[in-house]
Amino acid sequence: MDLISQGVVSGVLFGGLYALMSLGLSLSWGALKIINLAHFSFILLSAYIVYQLSVSYQIDPLLAMVVVVPIFFVIGALMQMFFHAVDVDEFKSLIITFGIFIILQSLIQTVWSADFRRIGIELNPYATQSISFGGVAFPVSQLIAFVAAVLIAVGMSLLLSRTYFGKAVRAVAQDRSMARAYGVDPRRVAVILSGLATSFSALAGLFVAVGQSIFPGLAVGWFGIVFSVVILGGLGNTLGTLTAGVVVGVAANTASVTWGPLSAPLVTFLILIAALLFRPEGLLTRRSVA
Amino acid sequence: MNRRRRTLLGFAAVAVILGFFPAVQEALDLPTFYVIFLFTTLFWVAQASSWNILTGFAGYFSFGQGAWYGIGVYAVSVLVGKHGWPFMAALPMAGLLAGVAGLLLGMVVFRLRRLSGEIFALTTLAIAFVLAALARLLPAIDGGTGIFMTGTPLPEFLGDFTTAMYLLTLVFSLLTVMAAYLIQDSRLGWGLFAIRDDEQVADGLGVPVFRYKMTALGANAFFAGLMGGLWSLRLGFVTVDDVFNIRVPLFVILMSVLGGMRHWMGPVVGAVIITTISDRLNSAGLADVSQIIIGALLVILALAVREGVYLRMRDRWVTTAAVFFGALALVTLFDINGSLISDFAYAMVATTLAMLVPSGVWERMRANRGGTGGDGPPETLADDLTEANT
Repeated sequence: MDLISQGVVSGVLFGGLYALMSLGLSLSWGALKIINLAHFSFILLSAYIVYQLSVSYQIDPLLAMVVVVPIFFVIGALMQMFFHAVDVDEFKSLIITFGIFIILQSLIQTVWSADFRRIGIELNPYATQSISFGGVAFPVSQLIAFVAAVLIAVGMSLLLSRTYFGKAVRAVAQDRSMARAYGVDPRRVAVILSGLATSFSALAGLFVAVGQSIFPGLAVGWFGIVFSVVILGGLGNTLGTLTAGVVVGVAANTASVTWGPLSAPLVTFLILIAALLFRPEGLLTRRSVA
Repeated sequence: MNRRRRTLLGFAAVAVILGFFPAVQEALDLPTFYVIFLFTTLFWVAQASSWNILTGFAGYFSFGQGAWYGIGVYAVSVLVGKHGWPFMAALPMAGLLAGVAGLLLGMVVFRLRRLSGEIFALTTLAIAFVLAALARLLPAIDGGTGIFMTGTPLPEFLGDFTTAMYLLTLVFSLLTVMAAYLIQDSRLGWGLFAIRDDEQVADGLGVPVFRYKMTALGANAFFAGLMGGLWSLRLGFVTVDDVFNIRVPLFVILMSVLGGMRHWMGPVVGAVIITTISDRLNSAGLADVSQIIIGALLVILALAVREGVYLRMRDRWVTTAAVFFGALALVTLFDINGSLISDFAYAMVATTLAMLVPSGVWERMRANRGGTGGDGPPETLADDLTEANT
């Protein structure tokens, strides 16, 4: 019983991280029609920057947030400006962001080598602590990541549904030229949204660095999980992404506890195929941006 | 029909010329490496051509090349290495298994109404890593130990290993390219091009959309798997990490984008250029940066040459020939680098750079040179459009 509830709890907590990793991709795909494969290397790059800050300057990994989040906001905004300048469609965005992905992956490998890196325990108090509640342990690092995911998902959902900016984003997602006709500047909206999306991936990278060892091959391993979460959650639907993250997290974690860690990608992929067959529009569709 | 007969004769000529290359190499006492380099090039020509059948013709962007290739590699490795099948019996299974896997994926994704292009792209991206996990997990496939393929007996009449490998790659890559040509030059090809331009309109006009897409995907996976099965011999020791990685999809995408995805010759030209350049980068000890260069190249090419260099080469064939042979002569004359392949690499880079001159600028240059005073912009725009739609 305890083993099962522990498995479910850590699945839910992992799900928070998966959701955080997927939010940016979901937003840029759903609202900006840009399938950003570079997203995966942004997460990894942010993880390495957090690692480096912590190792070289003894900066608390959570505090590194104040460095990586603004940096990646700027990167995301610049990338969107570049896309505007060269006028890309979805097809081209795939090729171009794939190229950027390859460049960043090789850069990471060149700078930090293919070795496993991990922030030392003395610098990273969050990795080893856990809160025990009713016989079930909640690792602090995962708990913080989960809370961050919930805050961002709910916050983005409110932002999109309640504010002027959110209305503008939805208008741009639905019909760009119509939005322009009503006085919304689609480019500005897109640049800000892209910045937000990449800063979420920076946060995800931070929690990856806090919670586990990092190595360049990690990024490709995320493809399956993140993509399943994005599809299951519905494009641009932040609450759906959070729910889907938890569903995938519980399923993958239960599978890896029961059948060994290698079965997790298979279960994730089966969920993806099932989602495509039965709910291609996502779990919770009503509030979707796209 | 006349045109088709001429093209098929061209295939036959290429087959004969390339078929005698190992004999020529032996007679002239050239390094064996030339043969290896040539069959590596042919392998990539086939991979890129098969990818283009789906993505270039039908417009469905696929990252699945690595998956189909990997299925082929593992089909042959398991059947030969673990069950003792003769190689030539296992090889067709590689193509068939990959083809079936492709069709299964198509049955799921091509039924979707909306977003099926994007979802197809990302599903194919995920599928190679799922297959990798599966191969690692199951001892019946790999189980994480790898499979030795060195010393696999090949039919005697093909000669020693390098020659046999060369001849087999030549035959199957010619078949792949020929299949791409025959598809483009058929009702199926026209249907696929219509799907790429506007799937709904194609459907409305009576193109059997689902069946055509399945055929294209099946052909892509079949030939990719077949070449993968062949390549298991070249790998020698087959491991999950070597097989299921991002390299194969990256290279085929780059080659096809460079050469052009709207003509069956595009991937062929792109594959020859990229294989040559990447081989030179690696032999110059630049393997680390070569990946970065390739990524950057992909970004630039995707933005700079919409229609690919092949169609431009055909349009500007005089310049192409002049630059290519001029550069080749210069490099050979000054003997910049001893290797024949390097000479070709320089010539190819020069030609490719010449082709990157935008169509607009090109037209203006031609108009100025001809002195016909054809003032550019409107005409150029129209040319640009026709070129893009060719």
